[in-house]
Amino acid sequence: MKKILLFTVLLSSLAFGSIRVDTTYSTLGAVAKEIGGDEISVSVLASSKYDPHFIVPKPSLLSKLRRADLLIMNGGGLELGWLPPLIRNANNSKIQTGAKGFLDMSHFINMIDKPATVSRAFGDVHAEGNPHYSTDPYVVLTMAKVIEKKLSEIDPEHSKIYKANLDKFLIEWNNYLENLNAKMKLCKNKKVVQYHELFNYFLKRYNIKSYGNIEPLPGISPSSKHTIELINTIKNNKIKTILQDVYHEKKTAKFIAKKTGAKVVIIPHDMGANGSSSLKEFYNNIATNLCQ
Amino acid sequence: MKKNICLSLLVASSLFADTAIDEIKAQLEQQQKIITQLKAKLDMLSKKSEQQENVQIVQNQNKSSSFSQNAYLPDIALILNMSAVSRDVANDDYEKYNIPGFIDNKNTQNTPIPFNKNRGFNLNYAEVAMHSTVDPYFEAFANFHLHTDKFEIGEAFVQTRSLPYGLLVKAGKFKSNFGRINSKHQHSWHFDSQPIIYEALFGPDAISDAGVQVQYVAPTDTYIMIGAEALQGTNKRSFGEESGNNLYVGYIKTSIDIGDDLSVLGGVSVAHGKNTTKNTTDVYGTDLTFRYQLGSYSSLSWQSEYLYRTKNIGTTTNRQDGLYSELIYQYNNNISTGIRYDAIMKNDTDLQTGYAGIKTNNLERYTTMVEYKPFPMSRLRLSYTYDKTKVMNLQRKDIQEVMLSLNIAAGAHGAHSY
Repeated sequence: MKKILLFTVLLSSLAFGSIRVDTTYSTLGAVAKEIGGDEISVSVLASSKYDPHFIVPKPSLLSKLRRADLLIMNGGGLELGWLPPLIRNANNSKIQTGAKGFLDMSHFINMIDKPATVSRAFGDVHAEGNPHYSTDPYVVLTMAKVIEKKLSEIDPEHSKIYKANLDKFLIEWNNYLENLNAKMKLCKNKKVVQYHELFNYFLKRYNIKSYGNIEPLPGISPSSKHTIELINTIKNNKIKTILQDVYHEKKTAKFIAKKTGAKVVIIPHDMGANGSSSLKEFYNNIATNLCQ
Repeated sequence: MKKNICLSLLVASSLFADTAIDEIKAQLEQQQKIITQLKAKLDMLSKKSEQQENVQIVQNQNKSSSFSQNAYLPDIALILNMSAVSRDVANDDYEKYNIPGFIDNKNTQNTPIPFNKNRGFNLNYAEVAMHSTVDPYFEAFANFHLHTDKFEIGEAFVQTRSLPYGLLVKAGKFKSNFGRINSKHQHSWHFDSQPIIYEALFGPDAISDAGVQVQYVAPTDTYIMIGAEALQGTNKRSFGEESGNNLYVGYIKTSIDIGDDLSVLGGVSVAHGKNTTKNTTDVYGTDLTFRYQLGSYSSLSWQSEYLYRTKNIGTTTNRQDGLYSELIYQYNNNISTGIRYDAIMKNDTDLQTGYAGIKTNNLERYTTMVEYKPFPMSRLRLSYTYDKTKVMNLQRKDIQEVMLSLNIAAGAHGAHSY
């Protein structure tokens, strides 16, 4: 009887994925699931309806981290304000910085917007560069390759499965990118402003120029002086689109829209935001809203 | 057939031979000239590129100095806390206040008031906080409190980072994880003053002592943490027996989420030690925190704690209890406001001399505050306090206080835990 019980317990744990992977944000989680498939179970720490810089380090996140075999973080300073005490108090040696089960994705990304000088006088600047790289649909390819390598390192037994999943996914994603590129051709030379520099990677990829931000400095709430300057910029450059994320206040953007005739469009910063429930939906959502 | 063709070709070529030879000679001379010119060019260019390579190599070598350890410097932060206070009690009276029934009798023991003592201006402290990963096995933390005339090691401890089975061990001088607010630093409290029951039972530093801590996080979907601590027990208000270490603390904490937005954290704690009369002191605590996220920058949180102490002083056992309950509304990333009620309810007198004629129970205080954070690193807070917990010159005295405090955390200051 005991043996049967043990066997079923073992079996059920296998069925739900024996490798536990925690990711800080949803996009990373979705890519991990593509590669890990049934071999892993993924749990995402931060809800994508909130500002990724200001996630509340709830104790429930500690119990997620406690049992993780692998933690995949975005890096580039994005988790600086909430993740370190969680890693410290989850009492899990596997996911400490430097351990085998700790993966900082930013180490594999060519980060843009690196500031020449770093001081908090310039607001909440990241010395490592702009950490919001997951808005670039090409970065998904890098994420997939890096995660495949890491999963095979942690769980060599299933490395063939991870490799097969990766190959399949790369083909699928490259096809998707072609479709997306065709879609994006329709909105070449678009001019935009944004709230926070959240979408620079996507904009750079498709040659869309951003003329400014609603916040005067990163992490600083809008000021009337800066808003007036931005209104003038929008008028002078005939900008038609204001990119707004899901979590900042929307009053300032609406005010600017009213003064300039530009349109406010809500763009997801991470999978899950703005009703996007898959990777493709996430990037389609950006593309559709941006190009309208 | 092939032979015939070859032969005829030979004959034909010999017919044109003389003129062709001269032409070829001229061409050859020209080609040789071009070759020498190209060679000269190549030499020049390769010399140049060699020089460039040399320059690059030198620059790369100079990028790091041989024994630089800058990358290993600990995170260092400077925390400054200061205030302007208006109070309806003169400073020399206020300095001698007592919380009736407790050992911090300022007339006999002269315990200094650590924060916001003066009517007028106060520089409460400059704190230097450091943190560093020591090696793959340990992390080290230290907080140095610098007062105008005093240096104090607030905390200095190491903790493990690679123990198996969900264990963590901490050793050194540290703030105990007893209760909810005990382990928090003053600058991360929502009100500038310490809850009165904590001040009465443990004093301004709360339970903070040299010792060892072991914590275990259960591998469950629900957060469950169990901790045990052995501490020196130097705090004379509740403990302080000096023949050896005398204080043991244990607690269990758990938390659940209801949806994405509501989280609940609760815990029970016990501190068991020996007091200066060599008899037993037990402190029981229970705490409960609700936090509801209204958005990325907006939340409502309600935090309460109740503490109960029995202190055997040989002839008799004194019982005291008290609580605080605070409600904080964070409107956006700049503005938040809050209200707190704290009190000591039951209060058997603790002092041998007693407080003849003075009621020592039902000591209450009401505090309200509004704070403005221009940036996460700086905070201005305006608070009003109505305080019915103090005795001055052997009389209960109600105190009203308005305070504007400023706190900054500059440099590499780590994130606060929940």
